[in-house]
Amino acid sequence: MALFEASGLHMRFGQRVVLERVDLAVEEHQFVGIIGPNGAGKTTCFNVLTGRYRPSRGTITFAGENITNLSPQAIARKGIARSFQIMNLFDEYSARDNVIQAMPEMRAMSWKVGHAVAQDRFLDEAAEEVLDGVGLAARAGVRAKDLSYGDRRALEIAVALASRPRVLFLDEPTSGLGASGRARLRELLLRLKGKLTIVMIEHDLALLFSLADRVSVIQWGQVIAKGSPDELRGDPWVQRSNLGKLQ
Amino acid sequence: MLPSPQASPRLITPAIAIVLLLLATVPFWIERIGLYPYLGVEILIWSIYALGFNLLLGYTGLPSFGHGAYFGIGAYAFGLAQFNIVPNLWVCLLIAIFAAALAGAFVSAFISHRRGIYFALMTIAFGQVFWFISIKWHSITGGEDGLLKIARLPADFGVVQFDLGSSNYALYYFVFAAFAIVLVGLWRLVNSPYGRILQAIRQNETRVTFLGYSVWWFKVSVFTLSAAISGFAGALFAMAQTSAFPDVMSLHHSGYIVMMTLVGGGLVSFWGPVIGVFAFLLTRDLIGALTTAWMFWFGLFFVLIMLFKPEGIAGLVRDLRNGFIARFCTPSPAPVRDPGS
Amino acid sequence: MLLDLLPHLVNGLTLGLLFALVALGFMLIVGLMEQINLAHGSLFALGAYFALVIVGGERSLSPWIGDAWYTLPIAVRYAVALVVAPALVAVIGMGVEVLMRRTYGKDPLFGLLLTFGIALVIEEAIRGIWSTRDYVLQTPAGISGGFIFNDLIWSTYRFYAAGFAAVAIGLVWLFIEKTPYGAVIKAGAHDNEMVRALGINLSRLRLFVFAFGTLLAAVAGIILAPIWGIRPHMGVDAVVPAFLVIVLGGIGSFWGAVIASLLCGMLVGLTGAYASEWSLLSIYLLLILVTTVRARGLFGKKSLLEN
Repeated sequence: MALFEASGLHMRFGQRVVLERVDLAVEEHQFVGIIGPNGAGKTTCFNVLTGRYRPSRGTITFAGENITNLSPQAIARKGIARSFQIMNLFDEYSARDNVIQAMPEMRAMSWKVGHAVAQDRFLDEAAEEVLDGVGLAARAGVRAKDLSYGDRRALEIAVALASRPRVLFLDEPTSGLGASGRARLRELLLRLKGKLTIVMIEHDLALLFSLADRVSVIQWGQVIAKGSPDELRGDPWVQRSNLGKLQ
Repeated sequence: MLPSPQASPRLITPAIAIVLLLLATVPFWIERIGLYPYLGVEILIWSIYALGFNLLLGYTGLPSFGHGAYFGIGAYAFGLAQFNIVPNLWVCLLIAIFAAALAGAFVSAFISHRRGIYFALMTIAFGQVFWFISIKWHSITGGEDGLLKIARLPADFGVVQFDLGSSNYALYYFVFAAFAIVLVGLWRLVNSPYGRILQAIRQNETRVTFLGYSVWWFKVSVFTLSAAISGFAGALFAMAQTSAFPDVMSLHHSGYIVMMTLVGGGLVSFWGPVIGVFAFLLTRDLIGALTTAWMFWFGLFFVLIMLFKPEGIAGLVRDLRNGFIARFCTPSPAPVRDPGS
Repeated sequence: MLLDLLPHLVNGLTLGLLFALVALGFMLIVGLMEQINLAHGSLFALGAYFALVIVGGERSLSPWIGDAWYTLPIAVRYAVALVVAPALVAVIGMGVEVLMRRTYGKDPLFGLLLTFGIALVIEEAIRGIWSTRDYVLQTPAGISGGFIFNDLIWSTYRFYAAGFAAVAIGLVWLFIEKTPYGAVIKAGAHDNEMVRALGINLSRLRLFVFAFGTLLAAVAGIILAPIWGIRPHMGVDAVVPAFLVIVLGGIGSFWGAVIASLLCGMLVGLTGAYASEWSLLSIYLLLILVTTVRARGLFGKKSLLEN
């Protein structure tokens, strides 16, 4: 049984149908990619899968449990984390504090109003580890808004990772990154591959196809093709969109 | 903006100790500088109010433009409890705090799924509703004439009793004790995990939600707490003024607390609200001696602050200090973290 | 029974039309700026106070204007007030826009706080200059007083006010729908990036819309003054229906704004029949109800205010 499964997802905003009969099955430790043109509904799909929107029809299950109508915070607590295409960071906090805020240990202490959290060294240490993993260890004390764009992207992922999720949803993590940023990201994802279940929306097909086990193509709110990267190389849309770059 | 989460874990920081020590001695020197003891009482009461208010605005980023309602409810509840239930200081204070907290919980239950403009509008609407009620419900609140003859009940600790009515000094020290408790309590609160979550909500509510927190509950709880503290201040105010009037609940008055808090630097500093209270009351007394339009000038000052230095007085002080450090202290890089202020 | 309600309904209609004037100006500003101007209500109040000075009634109100002015017939003074006072307010409104420029692009909280501060300053200035007492705006004999019709006493002024407001709304409609300037404003309210891309000077447009919007509010303030009385605080009550309009009807619908304003007016008018002390409270209660229940207004469009 798939770890994370969505079937028959249908999403409507008023009269507009944005997703239609979308199915997605993700096995544990699998790396699944989602591609498609802009406006196809990929981010909406993510938003539905992570609880931001309630689907008009369809079901979503995680580890056998139906999570379709749960709130985003409830879904997050179950071990599903996501990054955002338009970054959602705590700009006034340092990179370290951004990561600390994401950790489940912090959440467990939510209502401790008399506890001086600054004395919890273990939080700092755990955060440094996560930051090290994305290459931000040297800039742990820098405020998020003072970080470079590439570092902010890395932090966005670090925050998602800090919650120690079972499934990680990444929404266009290479967006706006240059060649070195992409390389750094690719390294990170290679390290995570196989240890974490990952679902990733990407426009950088070369990068995605080198990492993903399976890919789904979404266009006009529908899954028009799915398969392994090799199988999809022959797909007409894939070929049209990235001629010659996929080798 | 606000003190980085790596602030001191101590219960009482040097800053807190110094401030409390200074304030503890006020009755001894206040007349020498040309002021009067009751001003000290007012400063402390408004500081409690402002600190409670800033929990909402500065820390959680929720603009409450109708906060006078909770201050007023505390004031009225104190008086009404005294007249109709039992003239016991502790009971009346508790009832006042509870009444204000209840109102806060009620309102926040309606509005906590919002933020920004909608939130502010709703706080104005509820503030106006409470204000209307206090004016029109003549039989309970005395309407525009207010609630009069509220007594300064004695502070009975069992083994010893202090008559707060006879002198402003006894009252001062009672209010000082209240202030100290609120100050230390809030300092610990904002440096706790709960406090961090509030600041995270201010910065990015979406992210907080997706990290698994129920933002709604945090907003409701902080609003209720803020209302409770404001109500506590209101009760003390009623006792000090021996009366309660509807105008503290007006939009106009609710604006005062917003202005004070921001002018002082509530957006960037724990002490901002207290600084703002000093600025406001000193303006009232010193500039007020020169012109009755002192409030206009303070308001103008507020607008200028919002335009050019939203970080307020505390922000200016911090800039001066950092500038000083940068110019006169050798190679250490400008501190990213600014503990304890 | 129903007949007894008639005067209240007329009151409600009158109020509604005046609320619509305020709401339209407010909506145009909000639409173009994506920021709410909390000072709108104080400008409404300023319109009334300026008119008070021009129309006069007490010498002490007007050290700026010579005594000779007050010997002119009241109709003349009133007519001049209707023109000059809104013009003055429009200038101040443009001043507010200039102040607000610093907050464009920042966290919306700053704009909120700034306009709140401006509103307070204006109210303080009013209190300082005119004190907190209630004033009455005198009106020319032709439109004051009352008459009896069908055994009921009707206020002449209410009819005049309703008529004037209706004409004003009609003129606003003509302006927005039929002139090129109006088209630009409408476009700007929907999509200000597009307007900029078309080469239209956005900052001049903003200045103009502010001037226009606050002018409407000031006019409404002058017309409403004889009904509500003049006091420093009057602006808040006038601007809440404007908020309601935004919440109920979203931004950008002319008739939506008018209809929503009429609803508010009728609500106040009708509660005035049963519990006159609390009639103004009803609009606050309605705002609470609507904002709790409906995020996107009756027409389902996402408001620019959601953040």
